[in-house]
Amino acid sequence: MDEPVISARDLRMRYGRTEVLRGVDLEVRAGEVVALLGPNGAGKTTTIEILEGFRRRSAGEVTVLGTDPGRGGDAWRGRLGVVLQNWQDHPRWGVRQLLAHVASFYRRPRDVDELLAVLGLTAQAGRMVAQLSGGQRRRLDVALGIVGRPEVLFLDEPTAGFDPEVRLEFHGLVERLSREEGMTILLTTHDLAEAERLAGRIAILVDGAVAVCGTPSGLAAVVRTRSEVRWAEDGALRSERTGDPSKLAYELHQRFGGPVPGLEIRRPSLEESYLDLVRGATARGAGDASGTPLAGEDGGLMERSAA
Amino acid sequence: MNGTLVMIGLRRGWTEHLQFLRNRREFAGGLIGTVGIFVLVARWQGGTDVPGTHASKAVLMAAGFIAFSVFSVALMGLPMMITTDREDGALLRLRTVPGGMPVYLVGRAVSVLGQIATYVALMLLAGVALTELTLPAAPGDWLTLLWVLGLGTLSVVPVGAALGTLLPGPRNAASILSLPMMGLMVVSGVMFPVTAMPEPVQWVAQAFPLYWQGLGLRSVFLPDSMLAAEIGGSWRPLETAAVLGAWAVAGLLVAPWLLRRAARRESGTRLAERQERRAAQGAF
Repeated sequence: MDEPVISARDLRMRYGRTEVLRGVDLEVRAGEVVALLGPNGAGKTTTIEILEGFRRRSAGEVTVLGTDPGRGGDAWRGRLGVVLQNWQDHPRWGVRQLLAHVASFYRRPRDVDELLAVLGLTAQAGRMVAQLSGGQRRRLDVALGIVGRPEVLFLDEPTAGFDPEVRLEFHGLVERLSREEGMTILLTTHDLAEAERLAGRIAILVDGAVAVCGTPSGLAAVVRTRSEVRWAEDGALRSERTGDPSKLAYELHQRFGGPVPGLEIRRPSLEESYLDLVRGATARGAGDASGTPLAGEDGGLMERSAA
Repeated sequence: MNGTLVMIGLRRGWTEHLQFLRNRREFAGGLIGTVGIFVLVARWQGGTDVPGTHASKAVLMAAGFIAFSVFSVALMGLPMMITTDREDGALLRLRTVPGGMPVYLVGRAVSVLGQIATYVALMLLAGVALTELTLPAAPGDWLTLLWVLGLGTLSVVPVGAALGTLLPGPRNAASILSLPMMGLMVVSGVMFPVTAMPEPVQWVAQAFPLYWQGLGLRSVFLPDSMLAAEIGGSWRPLETAAVLGAWAVAGLLVAPWLLRRAARRESGTRLAERQERRAAQGAF
């Protein structure tokens, strides 16, 4: 198989005495869309900034397009697209003017007017950047990120602060970039639904390490192992978590010699299990949040790229 | 740095200079701070000669305010531009682009030189229109004018860039810099001869480029009878070149290193932190 486009092994980051990243392992192959999912403070932005070459890591092996991001030169930089949070730059520039300026740095840029049309900014082309709405500004940020035809696109919390309609529009755009151009995309988000919708694989980052990583369907398989079975016995409600709820239900039926009072089998949603994971890790503190590869990863990936 | 990047940088700087000229609030604010104050002060007490000389006070002030224009664009305007570029993410944007840093530097150099040229031209115009200031007739005086303005600019622009990398944010930059700027303006012979000051103050003034650039400009625009009010009774061109040159060299040694360091330290997280802090400040 080809060399991964993005690879991090035992990536560690320490600020003073706090360890923000405690050994992140991540691999992204060409054409994949991978989401780094996690609560605030889990280290998503730190990870992506190290991969973008904006931050030096404390330890670990990292390559992006075969190059150590800490040593990437202009040629390497020209193959990346970066969309960060909180950009409010160049407020006085015209929308088209700024996009054309950034395009002029690249050897083979996209057509500026076509790109504006694709992102629905044609009507705003002559406006000042400061006059754009939040959603328009974000789309311009994406346009600036992809105008140089990058091979890898980094999106840091791309839809934070969007209203649902704009968010949906944005999801469509990311899907198009992946489907039509085969762009490799790594995005961070704290929204599970967004990760599920956009990414072929989700890496859940908790407490500075990847807790689980796999396809959305692979994550669902994990969920199945943690179903909750509830029933009433001796006047009290009982519950048990089990990987095989069917077996437990069968045993209960045998024990009761018939119908089980108040029997309920709950398969927690992906969201619940994600929250469980996050809570568990927070409670464990510096626990053993080692990466757990999931079964069915490749199947899910193929399913995804065939879609 | 290759030619294409230089061209992109020149275009970037020119675009930003036009934006500055079109931004009424900023341009007018800058004009009031330089030409405006000059017109007021020259009207108020410019009608007489500098005591003990046959040199017009108004012309002395015109020369002083031209120097002050250069000084304030480089040491107030430029640091504020750079802190703004850091705070709103422009510097970080250029870091995401191949060749962004050289383009940023060329662009900022062009926009700062454009502003300095604009203010100096307007000050000269105001001086000619409102005082007895006359543009030099002799080629030698033009030459002096050019090297004093050129070296004077070079003595403060790198220092201003260095300040821009060190100050926390544009608002803080303005409040931190304005007081020392005003202080230097008072002691550096912009409005009255520096010899009117106690000697220790004269020494402070002579440590900074503002005094020397003003002196060089007075040597162009004022008659030699003005020398009666100058330190040592001389225009001291060699000393002028030496002090301005020393500041230029010091700035050019420190600024590139500080600019690289500032760019390296920019990241999305820092951007977010600063913007949150600013939002919190704004809430008060």
